[in-house]
Amino acid sequence: MMELARKYFRIWVRTASMAMQAQLTYRLGSFGFLAGKMIRLLFFFAFVVAIFKNVKEVAGYNLVETALFFLTFNVVDMSAQILFRGVYGARRIVSEGDFDFYLIQPCDPLFRMVFSTVDFLDIVTLVPVLVMVGMVFARLPPLGWTRYAAYAALVANGVALVYSIHVLVTGVAVRTQELENAIWIYRDVMFMGKFPVDVYAPAVRWALTFGVPIAVMTSFPSKALLGVLSPAWAAYAVGLNAALLALSARFWRGSVAAYTSSSS
Amino acid sequence: MRKYLVAYSISLQETLQRRSTLIMDRLGGFAVVLSLYSFWSALLGDKPSFLGYTRDEMISYVLVINVLRALVFTGRGWQLVGEISNGKISSYLVRPISYHAYALSLDLAQKSVHVVSAFFEVALLAAFIRGGLYLPGHLSTWLLFALSAILASLIFFFMEFIVSSLAFWTSESGGPLFCFELFLQFAAGAFFPLDVLPEFARRLLSATPFPYLVFFPARIFLEKVSTGEAARVLAIEAAWLAVFLAGALYIWRAGVSSYAAEGG
Amino acid sequence: MPALDVKDLTKDYRSPVKEPGLWGGVKSLFDRRYKDTRAVDAVSFKIEEGELVGFLGANGAGKTTTLKMLSGLLTPTAGAATALGHVPWRREAAFQKKISLVMGQRTQLWWEIPALETFRLNQAIYGIPEPDFRRNLDELVELLDLGEHLAVPVKKLSLGQRMRAEMVAALLHQPQLLLLDEPTIGLDVIMQKKVREFVKAYNKRHNATIMLTSHNMTDVVELCKRVIVIERGVLLYDGPLERLVERYADHKIVRVRFHSPVAAADLRPLGTVVSAGELLAVLEVPRDKVPASAAALLRSYPVADLDVEEVDIDDIVRRLFGGS
Repeated sequence: MMELARKYFRIWVRTASMAMQAQLTYRLGSFGFLAGKMIRLLFFFAFVVAIFKNVKEVAGYNLVETALFFLTFNVVDMSAQILFRGVYGARRIVSEGDFDFYLIQPCDPLFRMVFSTVDFLDIVTLVPVLVMVGMVFARLPPLGWTRYAAYAALVANGVALVYSIHVLVTGVAVRTQELENAIWIYRDVMFMGKFPVDVYAPAVRWALTFGVPIAVMTSFPSKALLGVLSPAWAAYAVGLNAALLALSARFWRGSVAAYTSSSS
Repeated sequence: MRKYLVAYSISLQETLQRRSTLIMDRLGGFAVVLSLYSFWSALLGDKPSFLGYTRDEMISYVLVINVLRALVFTGRGWQLVGEISNGKISSYLVRPISYHAYALSLDLAQKSVHVVSAFFEVALLAAFIRGGLYLPGHLSTWLLFALSAILASLIFFFMEFIVSSLAFWTSESGGPLFCFELFLQFAAGAFFPLDVLPEFARRLLSATPFPYLVFFPARIFLEKVSTGEAARVLAIEAAWLAVFLAGALYIWRAGVSSYAAEGG
Repeated sequence: MPALDVKDLTKDYRSPVKEPGLWGGVKSLFDRRYKDTRAVDAVSFKIEEGELVGFLGANGAGKTTTLKMLSGLLTPTAGAATALGHVPWRREAAFQKKISLVMGQRTQLWWEIPALETFRLNQAIYGIPEPDFRRNLDELVELLDLGEHLAVPVKKLSLGQRMRAEMVAALLHQPQLLLLDEPTIGLDVIMQKKVREFVKAYNKRHNATIMLTSHNMTDVVELCKRVIVIERGVLLYDGPLERLVERYADHKIVRVRFHSPVAAADLRPLGTVVSAGELLAVLEVPRDKVPASAAALLRSYPVADLDVEEVDIDDIVRRLFGGS
């Protein structure tokens, strides 16, 4: 078991280093993407600050709290982007035949699909976010360590949820080889996670909690920290995660079976 | 002239045929509209107005953004970058066809589909929201708005053309294009009305073409500007259009000659 | 126990059928039609350890599909096979560590960085201990003459260098079973020879079982004592190459270009005239008569250029079994 974990860790480090080397050959492009991501982050943050110059609270949350929601969204979203970036190339991997190599080699193909191309630029953009989170923490009233633990746990939970969604998308890419936009729709819908889920009308809130569980990923951790999340909801978050992990694993196995019996 | 109509019709068919792409694009945009609407709704709550916008006006702003995004920002920048990179445009350069007019035809076709869809989405949302919308009473407003939107659309077309033309000189123009698009959307007021920003920022932006893409046309729609001012906006848009049109043609010529020099 | 034991292996697959035109496209949204194709039809054969077998057939005959099944990439519709004692499509790690599939013009090398990096990745994937890695790498690099090319980004390598680097990547873990799908396609004559020599050397050195598909008759002739011919999914011939060649490729193709016009009739004594223009002629000449015919042509006619070629394998197969 340990041997296996070590092997996969070694492979992960190797592919991350290779991806980094490959990235460095594209300096202009990398800079452009990095600049774009920073702009997006800064503009939104400026927007939040500017709003609160004119208003005391939105949906019951003040500036610090709204900033917390927004930043937590970024922590979850960016962590997922860093770890699971491989999925964005999934369709190309399948259509160009790299997936065949993944299947033949003694390394889990899902692992290679999802984890193989760490974008170290995203790590660069995560640092200021974490710093700002620290600043927000400093401005909150003293809360017990249990709250912070719950926050961290739910952030990890959120990232795991994103993982399941990425696995589902990868399965779709392998199965159909036609649908290339599933991952982009995830990114677009994730936009809704930038705001605290309470801003949305009840029907939408319901959809974001039980349909596409963006609220669980991005709003729950902040709510837990602020003490407005009941244990029942936290249990739901964890249970949902377990269920989705199992479901996505099953779907993936089915996708591989479909691929190996239908392509020629 | 006929050939451009044919190009238009083919591009129209193509956009309709790539159903899944289209649906994904629209759904993504819809998520953005929904989030923005919900946020502003929550922010305004029971307040009479915010920064001079009543609830009806703010909601209308959000819906107008949806239409304007479809009309102004739907573009083929990425395709152009791709076609330059893989040499496909060579085939157009040897034909008796103006590449700009051709690209414009394709672009218009794509926009037609997206704008129609945007109208449907807006109508759908309008049916469900509580409270009213702000709809201009004067016919002249609608005309001025349409005119400013069309000019905005053309300005963006040529702006994007210039940035995409970077592909003539580098294979990494994707990064700058990404950065450009993101910055643009914020500066144009496509996420929030620029009134949110502090005075100096607004003054700075007014000297750039960006607010003329979304913010000023939207203000015309909301009748927050006098007819005289609206005319001024249109004149400035026309001036920017001339600038970018000339710029695009110039860069294109430079790019094509350097392209040919390398033997394609 | 044979290295490869294949019994009644069958593979069907269905592909969607779309009518052309806009209306056809619209219809296909609602009514998906499929076409069922039998790519491999009850193919059976046994291959012993250390054999080097050629797998021949026209495009679409089922060769690649069979190789993919034997590597575990595809699950068959019916039939059974064991490779090195494992069922391939179970894709057990123990099995995967002993095999390799090389597909011509497809690469597992990462594009922007040196090939050596991908080799290191494979080391991690296959769990090759460092001393073994070094030894295998050195041996392969020497056999394939790749010395200075390891530190260069793969995108800067020529096709021949890339293909050789590809072979290194595929063989670092010293597989016992090597499946090669068109390994020399797109390579120039010198490179083809290098690859062939390498395959032969690897086969000898490690007693590896090798199955090779190729459209290149020279590959087959140089490497394979035994060939399996497959046409439209059906196994047509399984036996020594000589008998196949003797019987069906008893001649070679001679192409001539002349300085001044030569009448086709004059050439008939030298061989069967397949085609003749004013200054060009293509002849089929029996193998043993080729040197004499070539000499006669050069002696008696104003020859500008002369080529002697093997018959294309596709032609042999087509002629063999009358079909296509």
